[in-house]
Amino acid sequence: MRRAVRRPAVAVGVHEPVTTGSVDLLLVDDGTALRGYDCRDVVRVEEVPARAGSTGGYLLRLGRLGPSREVACREVIVSVALTAREIRPVPPALRDRMTGEMPWAVGITERGICLLY
Amino acid sequence: MMSPGGVSPLDETREDLLREASIEAEASGREKAHDESGPMRSLLVFSLGSEGFAVDLAHVRMVLRPGRIEGVSGAAPEVIGLMNHQGEVLCVLDLRRILGTGKEKVSTSGMGEKFIVVIQHGGKEAGFLVDAVRDVTELPASSVHPVLDSVDPSRARLFEGTVTCGGQFVGLLSPSACMNP
Repeated sequence: MRRAVRRPAVAVGVHEPVTTGSVDLLLVDDGTALRGYDCRDVVRVEEVPARAGSTGGYLLRLGRLGPSREVACREVIVSVALTAREIRPVPPALRDRMTGEMPWAVGITERGICLLY
Repeated sequence: MMSPGGVSPLDETREDLLREASIEAEASGREKAHDESGPMRSLLVFSLGSEGFAVDLAHVRMVLRPGRIEGVSGAAPEVIGLMNHQGEVLCVLDLRRILGTGKEKVSTSGMGEKFIVVIQHGGKEAGFLVDAVRDVTELPASSVHPVLDSVDPSRARLFEGTVTCGGQFVGLLSPSACMNP
């Protein structure tokens, strides 16, 4: 007679099932906060030289996937891949207090929390 | 000297005193219950500068020490930023600005001594930066008085009423009004 064997919750040597999907983001610093843009949407990154009265920085030309737009930032930091585990919805308390372009989510990176646009 | 039963007079005296004390406590409890009939409210009392405020404990999820708070561009001035608390992203708000008692931007350097009171209401959650957490107190619901007419209406809407805690009037905050801009 076969005896029922209780399976361990986590089998030894078998990884926990994880979401394999991830999104590659270009992480930029806008001077106040970190922002993340989908790398697939970036058309070009241009350096803006410093002029009298302005510190210079970078201009992101976006629109490969969505509508064309330009975003100015102080620094382009790094590109990171975030999985679903590192992405959270924008807290409603923040959403209610934001003006202008609304982030679609918040990302948790080693550099800190970034808003994803 | 011990009594025949092995109980010293000192023990007897102590037992008598304890019996009397328990009768007194019971009587005082009955009296208190009679005075404070009606529902009770548990409040978290905290301070902002020299002013005291309270919020119903039912809406308080936790009290934290500020960690690393990331700024947010394009947000209202009362938004200090976002904090990662054990993988949970928390929006931290400046209660001083919400109440209109301060206009200066909070510096993240001197934040270590402060507290963040995390409030939940209507499916929303936010952390409110306060200077100090004083007490948790239980008061009869009937001891909440309406906000004085002399208080500016834009500020009065942020309060449920006023209560007396430790001999000081404290404003009882309305979580709903503080949460929604």
